[in-house]
Amino acid sequence: MKAFLAALLFAAIAAVGVSILLNAIQEPSSVAFTTGGARVGDPGHNLVGPNG
Amino acid sequence: MASFGRFIRLAVGACVFLLVIAASVPCNAQQVNPTASSVKEQQLLQELNRIQGRVSIPDQRSGVLEQPAGRDWREFRNVTLRWIGGIAILGMIAVMVIFYLTRGMVRLESGRSGRTIVRFRAFERFVHWMTASCFIVLAISGLNITFGRPLLLPLIGFEAFSEWSQWAKYAHNYLSFPFTIGVVLIFLMWIAGNIPNKVDVEWLKRGGGIVGHDHPPAYRFNAGQKAIYWIVVMGGGAVAVTGYELMFPFYLSGIEGMQLAQIVHSVVSVLFIAAMLAHIYIGTIGMEGAFDAMGTGEVDLNWAKEHHSLWVEEELAKGPSSGSSPRPVAAE
Repeated sequence: MKAFLAALLFAAIAAVGVSILLNAIQEPSSVAFTTGGARVGDPGHNLVGPNG
Repeated sequence: MASFGRFIRLAVGACVFLLVIAASVPCNAQQVNPTASSVKEQQLLQELNRIQGRVSIPDQRSGVLEQPAGRDWREFRNVTLRWIGGIAILGMIAVMVIFYLTRGMVRLESGRSGRTIVRFRAFERFVHWMTASCFIVLAISGLNITFGRPLLLPLIGFEAFSEWSQWAKYAHNYLSFPFTIGVVLIFLMWIAGNIPNKVDVEWLKRGGGIVGHDHPPAYRFNAGQKAIYWIVVMGGGAVAVTGYELMFPFYLSGIEGMQLAQIVHSVVSVLFIAAMLAHIYIGTIGMEGAFDAMGTGEVDLNWAKEHHSLWVEEELAKGPSSGSSPRPVAAE
């Protein structure tokens, strides 16, 4: 039982840790694909993103 | 003279009037369709195979307007994949039900001895359960991506389905990391015991004892378990690689590569799920005493002798047989 619970806990911690790491290093597409020549604007409010 | 002039004006006026009337009536014999021989979209697609041009958006891939392979892929993703998944998973469930109703649980024929032997150490069980629990969530969330819209959405409605699908997608993407770690650890931990050999050929010839009351000898892992091991390692490896390719879109490939990654990921996944259903079956209700191996880590000595006789001989030769207290097993 202990091994099983430890496994669930480790998986949950790993998943949360990865989510924090990826959110820190990834950018939303409206930021990543905007350049001096073309501005990719606000994608709107009906999408799942960093604020949704 | 004046009356003749009036007659001429009347005649000319009437002729002009008639001409205007005649000209205003559409004449079918002369109608032209200006676009009759111009190129149609379908022709264009067939000739060029893809439609693309120059764009000012920084991502040049947006210059591809249409590619017929995309439609083929959509047909696969919406139709073919659902057939493959449905047949594989429902077919496996049907086979298991029929097998259980006919063969029943594989019983421990000599009964429990009350003495146990350590089969899996704590770390091995930890790795197995981490991988397995991640697999369950990944499987359910993954099946939602393929089957959710046609099967679940009509039952629970748009709001609930959207909310559920958002969380399922996050769970799927983030739990893939501990799942991948687990697959790598499983590969390293158990590679030594899962190399096929002659004993496995004999075991397979005797059907693993699954039919009748045969008990072909086996070492720590029998041929069926070795098959599961390699399915997990190779299948898990394939879904991990293609999965990360999908999670980081266009890092490694263009649109064709992404389509191929999705095809491989989805087909391997549904077959993986079918195989794991069989694994779960045999480890729980399919065989008496089997669950103990991953549950407590210790199995009944009679169970071990019946199903893994060669392994028991090796273990007992290492030292005194274990009683009710766990005896550490030498590392493989």
